Amino acid sequence: MSQKKVAFPRFGNYNLCIKYFVEQALNAEYILQPLLTQRTLEAGARYSPDSVCAPFKTCLGSLIDALEAGADTLIMPPGICRLGYYGELHEQILRDLGYEFDFINLSRYSTGKPKDYLKALKRIDPDLSAAHLARVGAETLKMLAHLDDTEAEYYKNCGFEVHHEDYHKTWSRFLAAMETAQSLHDIEQAYSWVKQAFSSIPISKPAFPLRVGVVGEYFTAVDGFSNHFLEQKIADMGVEVHRFMSVTNRNLRYHGKNLQIGIQDYCCYEMGPTSTANIWAAKHYASHGFDGIIHIKSADCTPEIDIMPVLQNISADYKIPVLYLSFDSQTSDTGLETRLEAFYDMIRIRKEGK
Amino acid sequence: MGKHTEVQSHRACTIGLPNGLLYAHYQVLWNSFFAGVGLQTRNSGPTNREILELGNECSIDETCLSAKLYLGHVRSLLGTCDYILVPRINSWGRQRDMCTRFASLYDLVCNTFRDSGQKFLSCNIDAGKKLTEESAFVQMGEELGFSKKIAENAYHQAKKEDENQWKLRLRKEEALYREKGIKVMIAAHSYIIEDDYYGKPIADYLRSLGLIPIRADITDRKEALKQSLKVSPTLKWEWNREIIGSLQMHREQIDGIVLVSAFPCGPDSMTDEIVSRHFAPLPVLRLVLDTQTGTAGIETRLESFADILSFQKKGGLAQ
Repeated sequence: MSQKKVAFPRFGNYNLCIKYFVEQALNAEYILQPLLTQRTLEAGARYSPDSVCAPFKTCLGSLIDALEAGADTLIMPPGICRLGYYGELHEQILRDLGYEFDFINLSRYSTGKPKDYLKALKRIDPDLSAAHLARVGAETLKMLAHLDDTEAEYYKNCGFEVHHEDYHKTWSRFLAAMETAQSLHDIEQAYSWVKQAFSSIPISKPAFPLRVGVVGEYFTAVDGFSNHFLEQKIADMGVEVHRFMSVTNRNLRYHGKNLQIGIQDYCCYEMGPTSTANIWAAKHYASHGFDGIIHIKSADCTPEIDIMPVLQNISADYKIPVLYLSFDSQTSDTGLETRLEAFYDMIRIRKEGK
Repeated sequence: MGKHTEVQSHRACTIGLPNGLLYAHYQVLWNSFFAGVGLQTRNSGPTNREILELGNECSIDETCLSAKLYLGHVRSLLGTCDYILVPRINSWGRQRDMCTRFASLYDLVCNTFRDSGQKFLSCNIDAGKKLTEESAFVQMGEELGFSKKIAENAYHQAKKEDENQWKLRLRKEEALYREKGIKVMIAAHSYIIEDDYYGKPIADYLRSLGLIPIRADITDRKEALKQSLKVSPTLKWEWNREIIGSLQMHREQIDGIVLVSAFPCGPDSMTDEIVSRHFAPLPVLRLVLDTQTGTAGIETRLESFADILSFQKKGGLAQ
């Protein structure tokens, strides 16, 4: 049987992990589509319902990219909000457009029994054994945690480098190493290399730099293209940027009930899939002397709209400014830059005044 | 628990019931439950322009119309009752979720009105955490200072009453399918179609045009849930499943579908697309309601939809 050509929608840097997993665990070829661009988003938006959230459109566009690049098997993840229903509607739209492909919609397999996910993966590789899956799965999660940790470090320091693009070059080399990793050894080697390389980059950072915490909707917060590379823009102004939301923090190292305890002054229940994490992070930034918080989401993201009144209360209690930004297929780079510059000026002047 | 004794000391306390979102589903159950334990209730009354403005002022502008109206109803009740009931419902079971707004509702309201001094009463239903409707009502009763037994009895009584009334409504609605004339199914969440300011006028107007509007949400819910999976196997929102299942059950008996959604409704933004694709060539009209209050635009669209339906009924282009 010929190898399947598998693809997954573009989502931040995580496609590198999925590539590793598909190649090492499922004995299939992984089709890594080109990076997301305005063209991807426009192609997705053209065939999507008008008022659906922006990640739906981006994902649809990137599935079309994958099909054009030769993929014959598409995978869609399950999810708690609208995301859990993306797959079915994506499939319907793509089939109505006439595309041919195998579609593995993990929402169909989320029955509460992990065994059922194994069934889904066996559609790609019928000989897949649970033991092999577990080993490669663990390696993939290692890679994922390394990517998230490295990215977090990157945005904390890249705004203070002495030589232009030092950080960016190192980060790109690390990503390339992850893209070509074939084994756990490759992953660990690249990780120790980047740790070392980051720490030897000369930086000039004040003792008390401006610090901004980014919170917000999962996809838009994590995916650089979807937030117009907001973190880079802020960091380049000379700011330390922190973001709690990542697959590592929200899924691998997540304990919702314990985070809930820290925010019980603000809410009694889990308000949505990422609400607990975001409210916790916002309160954490506010109580740790950060200079500002930026809340980002795709337009009309129900769970994130609903935590805004909570963020307003945190903002009032801790006297910390919060910038609220919504992204959709119409967002312009210039408009965003103007708002970020104004926000930066405001927090800088506030800090100087203190 | 100090809270309990405090309530027990003035048994005649009043519970405020905001007339939005869950009220359309729960009015019978709530009213009979509170009557059963001997508490008074206070309803915020039908939606009107003032409620809309009250809600609009204190809402995040991107939130949906129905949530804005709900906050308007809550706000109009502030200070007029001991507690305002704001339930939290996350899910009824696997693939039986609510829109995430119902999971956030209680905390959303508490945060929006935290400086008002008003006390809010929760009722938390979350199948994933084994919190059923019954346990939620019993817990709510206990929080109000009643014994478990009293709360349980009141719940069972109320549930019986609710089921009886539902059967009557269902029978009445299903009789409409047997009437002669052009039949249009209105596919909308109950809280929209039952809203006096936004939803009811749409059904009234269709009636005035000589059509027979039938509500998709008043249906054999169990059967509708089953049927919805034929249309959309991974659909997970309970109420959208009821509506889509109901359309599937009656598609041979109707002449057209009117989809009515609040702007911007998360689940509807996707299910409307599925309905338009799945039920073609049945004519589908999609109406989206927002905070604008003019009715001329909607009337024009309903009129032209009625024209299309009567043209088709006469044989369409083949006549």
